[in-house]
Amino acid sequence: MRSKFDEQLALLHKELMTMGALCESAIALAAAAMEGGDTTKTQKVFDYSAQIAHKERDIEGMCMRLLLQQQPVAKDLRVISSALKMVTDMQRIGNNSGDIAEIVNMGHIKAAHDKLHIQDMAQATIKMVTESIDAFVKNDAALAKAVIAYDDVVDDHFDRIKTALIDLLRAHDADGEYVLDLLMIAKYLERMGDHAVNIAEWVIFSITGRK
Amino acid sequence: MTKRIFRSICLAALGVAAAAVVLFLLVLYDYFGGVQQQQLQMQTELAAQAVTNEGITYFDGLNSEQYRITWVAADGKVIYDNRSDSAAMENHLEREEIRAALLTGEGKSSRYSDTLMERALYAAKRLPDGSVIRLSVSQHTLLTLFLGMLQPICFIIIIAGVLSLVLASRLAKKIVEPLNALDLEQPLSNEGYDELSPLLHRIDSQQRQIKRQSEELAQKQKEFETVTENMTEGIILLNTKGEVIGINRAALRLFGADTAALGQHMLAINRSPQITELLAAAAAGRHAEKMLDIAGGRYQLILSPVNSGNVPSGAVLLVIDATEKEKAEQMRREFTANVSHELKTPLHTIAGSAELLANNMVKEADKMAFYQRIQAETQRMIRLVEDIIRLSHLDEGADDIKREPVDLLALAAETVKTLQPAAAKAQVSLTLAGEAAVIEGIPPLLQSIVYNLCDNAIKYNRAGGSVAVSVTRANGTVRLSVADTGIGIPAEYQERIFERFYRVDQSRSKELGGTGLGLAIVKHAARLHGAEIELKSAANAGATVTVIFPV
Repeated sequence: MRSKFDEQLALLHKELMTMGALCESAIALAAAAMEGGDTTKTQKVFDYSAQIAHKERDIEGMCMRLLLQQQPVAKDLRVISSALKMVTDMQRIGNNSGDIAEIVNMGHIKAAHDKLHIQDMAQATIKMVTESIDAFVKNDAALAKAVIAYDDVVDDHFDRIKTALIDLLRAHDADGEYVLDLLMIAKYLERMGDHAVNIAEWVIFSITGRK
Repeated sequence: MTKRIFRSICLAALGVAAAAVVLFLLVLYDYFGGVQQQQLQMQTELAAQAVTNEGITYFDGLNSEQYRITWVAADGKVIYDNRSDSAAMENHLEREEIRAALLTGEGKSSRYSDTLMERALYAAKRLPDGSVIRLSVSQHTLLTLFLGMLQPICFIIIIAGVLSLVLASRLAKKIVEPLNALDLEQPLSNEGYDELSPLLHRIDSQQRQIKRQSEELAQKQKEFETVTENMTEGIILLNTKGEVIGINRAALRLFGADTAALGQHMLAINRSPQITELLAAAAAGRHAEKMLDIAGGRYQLILSPVNSGNVPSGAVLLVIDATEKEKAEQMRREFTANVSHELKTPLHTIAGSAELLANNMVKEADKMAFYQRIQAETQRMIRLVEDIIRLSHLDEGADDIKREPVDLLALAAETVKTLQPAAAKAQVSLTLAGEAAVIEGIPPLLQSIVYNLCDNAIKYNRAGGSVAVSVTRANGTVRLSVADTGIGIPAEYQERIFERFYRVDQSRSKELGGTGLGLAIVKHAARLHGAEIELKSAANAGATVTVIFPV
């Protein structure tokens, strides 16, 4: 009985890793698409986003079955319930990547003149997402805490980009669509950072039992 | 087993006890029956004697509780009976014992009473007067005997039961004890039952076989580990679920994992899309190859599924460092592209000029300039092809080229002399200083080193500048140094100028007629001599190239 349960837990872990890897690919590709305005890349991001949504449903079903059939307690219960919450955040990351790809598809982003360091922000967000999933894979509470602390960096990026955009508007130096699209992208990136923080928090919860 | 032996002994003992009691009863009954019969006969004799002597009066004084005495007349009529009224009794002529007595003088029989609880024994004797005297005694049946003896029998059975319980338990323990005490580690050292020895021998031989096989297995495992651990390529063994069941040191280092990776899912080690795709291929039992960038290096991942029989049992993932290979590949591609480009440019000029001349579209006065241009371009092409040939020779390795002692100073002097006109034309002073230094080398290659270095120093100089060539000996090395006062090489380009066709300033170099291969030739030639190249330069501050030859 227990060995079956262990097997199912291992499968859950593997599925979560796969989903995390998909999230990393999606966000990295969205950032790359932003750079070149590349529509083949944005199409791939949509694919990833759909796959992530699919995985979310799969994993949710898996968690529910485990909860009902095995009635886990203590650490097992924490692992499963935090998995249930983590997939939601991962799915949002996939969603946000898709949103960025959609904005890139509209073609207002002239990334070649990235004076606003939106790529820097994207890289910082990718780092957060990657490390939050690393923390989950390695069961590393210290790394998870580092991810939570790193959110300030992404937030700072967002504030800087926002003020820079305001300056651009004041100087009548940019067209409105470009400014708004960039602001949206920055906001999506900032949201993804928050989701990474959530994932890290759930990792800590599943290890220590405290939030 | 103990229980079973105990039960068997117990049951057997009880069974034997019960059977013995029953048999004993039967024998006893039979014996007592015989004794009673004998007594009855004796009494009958006595009674017959008495009746013969005394007649009916004998019965008057008779007080017999034990025996029933009947006197029967010869016609079967009962004359006397001490238990019942003789007158009311039926004719006894048909009774078995009476009839026998009338016939033979004596008779006996036995009959069960109606209740079966008693049996009557009869003995009859004919008297001299022809009448018959009969005595009868009641005998207990076997059943009564048994019922009467029930108490002692039960007592005996209980005692036998208790005894057999105690004995059986002791015996069972005793029988099983050697079995429990068997030392299975050394099966042959056991004493006890001979019946067990085939089994023990078998166990012994199997134990030895297992030991030998596990030793072989450990040996193989060790060999495998030694081989894989010392490989520079990474090897990862995966089971069908994609979990890591073996990983060597190189792979651990590559993926930045520790030994805790063993038993984990492959995705826990690396989650890149390439790995996901490879795992999918492994699950489908397909062979697959991917390129993966890890920590600045480029790695080739080769996945081969492992099948035992027709059942997939996992996969082997081989990780090969392809960084160098990729770089070499890229350099070769660039080189080919560059060569074609470099050859095409002069050809265009030649073809263009030739076409104009052929179509008679050139004024007579300009024709000379066109001829000269064609000549210059063909010269350049020849130089280029020569350089390429020389380089490819160097690439092949010049181990078979004969080495001989060469005086570097003399060789440099010769080269400097041939370059003096070019230096004068560029308004650059070319000087040579130093001491004679003999090294083992290949003269043509050494010459091309000096030539190319000086040529560059003159070309990339400024009017009124100088080129100082020096040959010195220091610490067991010979240093050939070419210092110029030219435009210098900015730090960011210094890494690349020894690459083929690399030029800091494309347009200027073309103008100067360089092939872009000079420093590449220097680098290769120096390497063949085991020499090192030192470059000291900064933008607009001249350059000093020193080739350090070992002696």
